[in-house]
Amino acid sequence: MVTTVVAQEVTLKNKLGLHARPAAHLVRLAAQYKSNVVLVKDDTRIDAKSIMGVMMLAAEKGATLTIECQGEDEEELLAKLVQLVEDKFYEE
Amino acid sequence: MTRKNGETKVSASHHAEREIIVRGISASPGIAIGQVHFLRGDVAAVPPRKIAPAEVELEIERLERAIEETRAAMLQSRQRAMAMAGTAVGRIFDAHLLILEDQELQKEVRGRIAREQFSTEFIVYDTMGRTIELLEKQMGELFRERAMDVRDVRAQLLRFLQGGPDAAPEHPDEPSILVAANLSPTDTLHIDRTHIMGIATDLGGPTSHTAILARSFEIPAVVGLGDISARVKSSQTLILNGNSGKVVIAPTAASLKEYRDKHKRYQQLLANLAGLRDLPAETSDGHAIELHGNIELPHEVESVRTHGGTGVGLFRSEYLFLTREAPPGEEVQFEAYFKAAEGMWPGPITIRTFDLGGDKLHPGRSALAERNPFLGWRGIRVSLSHPDLFRTQLRAILRASVKKNVRIMFPLIASLWEVREAKKALDEAKIALRQEGIAFDEKMPVGIMIEVPSAVILADQLAREADFFSVGTNDLIMYTLAADRGNEMVAKYYDAYHPAVLWAILDTVLCGHKAGISVGLCGELAADPLATALLIGLGVDELSVSAGIIPEIKKIIRSIRFADCQEIAARARELPTAEEVRTLLEAEMKRRFADLPIWFTTER
Repeated sequence: MVTTVVAQEVTLKNKLGLHARPAAHLVRLAAQYKSNVVLVKDDTRIDAKSIMGVMMLAAEKGATLTIECQGEDEEELLAKLVQLVEDKFYEE
Repeated sequence: MTRKNGETKVSASHHAEREIIVRGISASPGIAIGQVHFLRGDVAAVPPRKIAPAEVELEIERLERAIEETRAAMLQSRQRAMAMAGTAVGRIFDAHLLILEDQELQKEVRGRIAREQFSTEFIVYDTMGRTIELLEKQMGELFRERAMDVRDVRAQLLRFLQGGPDAAPEHPDEPSILVAANLSPTDTLHIDRTHIMGIATDLGGPTSHTAILARSFEIPAVVGLGDISARVKSSQTLILNGNSGKVVIAPTAASLKEYRDKHKRYQQLLANLAGLRDLPAETSDGHAIELHGNIELPHEVESVRTHGGTGVGLFRSEYLFLTREAPPGEEVQFEAYFKAAEGMWPGPITIRTFDLGGDKLHPGRSALAERNPFLGWRGIRVSLSHPDLFRTQLRAILRASVKKNVRIMFPLIASLWEVREAKKALDEAKIALRQEGIAFDEKMPVGIMIEVPSAVILADQLAREADFFSVGTNDLIMYTLAADRGNEMVAKYYDAYHPAVLWAILDTVLCGHKAGISVGLCGELAADPLATALLIGLGVDELSVSAGIIPEIKKIIRSIRFADCQEIAARARELPTAEEVRTLLEAEMKRRFADLPIWFTTER
């Protein structure tokens, strides 16, 4: 079986990076979808549905991440996540 | 006055008993005597217990039930905290819910139970323990706070696994002092208020969750006591003085008697003082003082009112950062400020703009970069370098000023340009609000904190830019005497009665009055009854203290003559040492007002 992954690179532009509320936002959004999501930063890969994983990623403003989605609703989820990052997590 | 981690051993000559006095940071006022009641900040280590393969399914069911029960308990905590202390405090518990609901974590725990076949308790303890360890290894306050959150969630989950909430907080059945390394928000929220008379913790500062919740509940508390939880034994007697930040371990019979008397008289005094509530804070020869309260949470204005305060002299807006989330948005801030303004109306409230260290904004970064945070990026400096953050706060404060009883003040002003910049930002915010047709008080007074020596030196110039001054004595003393009171090596150099401090206050008052503006004082010195006559004599117009202290200070004000205060101040300012100032004040106060409360609310 061939598994496909959709992925996109994003740069964090919000002030706080992936701390606290932004992290919570992202995890809540990801949890609404069936697809698996992995965030990749440098050599670290974490499950974006895990608040603790996202927190441990310690991604600050300016960090570049790759979002990888895989599953039946992967396209939509990826688009939503990229949008969230682009909109600076609605924090500003 | 509080000192941190200093310690004095006192041996009573007529007994073999030895009491130990430990000094911490006073977090909530009042005196308490009781037996040590431990609340281990964390659960005891759970030993590995093997289970049979057939038990795996049952263990996983237990896990799932415990998660459900914990979730329900957390939702309740959140609701309770919101009802008692407002939305921002309630949000502390949002973070807990997210951790509990972490799918990755749950998957990992289930997987390990099945694979390794240990009890659920052990797997939960161990798996979350790894996360805690990882978080604690990271740099920065934010990670440590998150580690604390994970610990809190783990403790709650284990409580339910080990037999429901009843197994958890063992409630004492006699008057007790709760002793812990640190208290989580959940612990503090669920304190049994009928038996817990006081709180003593190793860690924490005056703005920690414990301190804020303790003040909210009016439970005396001392935090930052070093290793007190390791030094006391179960059922040992403790005296806790939340006014002075002291804890006495194994007090001698004499100390116990002294404190019992003190406590009793304090209670009587409080009862008597209640009668003063609606009387003005005015000397017997008719000199009026504005007596206000310091608050952190909007609902505390109720306490200021019931204690007879006529306004809020210091609303520490930093509490809005309490939830450790991103900076609070305009609506959240507006809601908080407006609630306080409305609750105090027509009395004034003075909102101090965020007085934070930069580490709250850039977690991890400034903690690393700043070797000397007190001389670093904090107060107005943070606000001026974050125009967005500042604008949001200014807009929220302006909007809350619509009933014309809000004043704004800026912390850590060291130079004139900072005041001008801050006022420029305020003017811009006003222009924007006008364009949007949003109402606010066009004449909202703008004040500055006088807490840096340069501001005292330039008080003359600053007075022309400000509508009022507020002297923040805690920082002013620290910066003037170059002594951090948290550092026990130099704590004795930190002295509120140092002549340089008195002259700094006097200079500020004189410059303020020359420019026709009022000068208030909102540090701990304002709450020291020994200082009241002196401060009034120096010409201070407003004193702002925590709500519980208002009645005592009012009693003193109403018992003295302004002329006497001036005479005391005139003599005090000629004295060359702090010791002599203190001796003078004690002698004068004792001579003139033998029955004043100061002899038992403060210790010397």
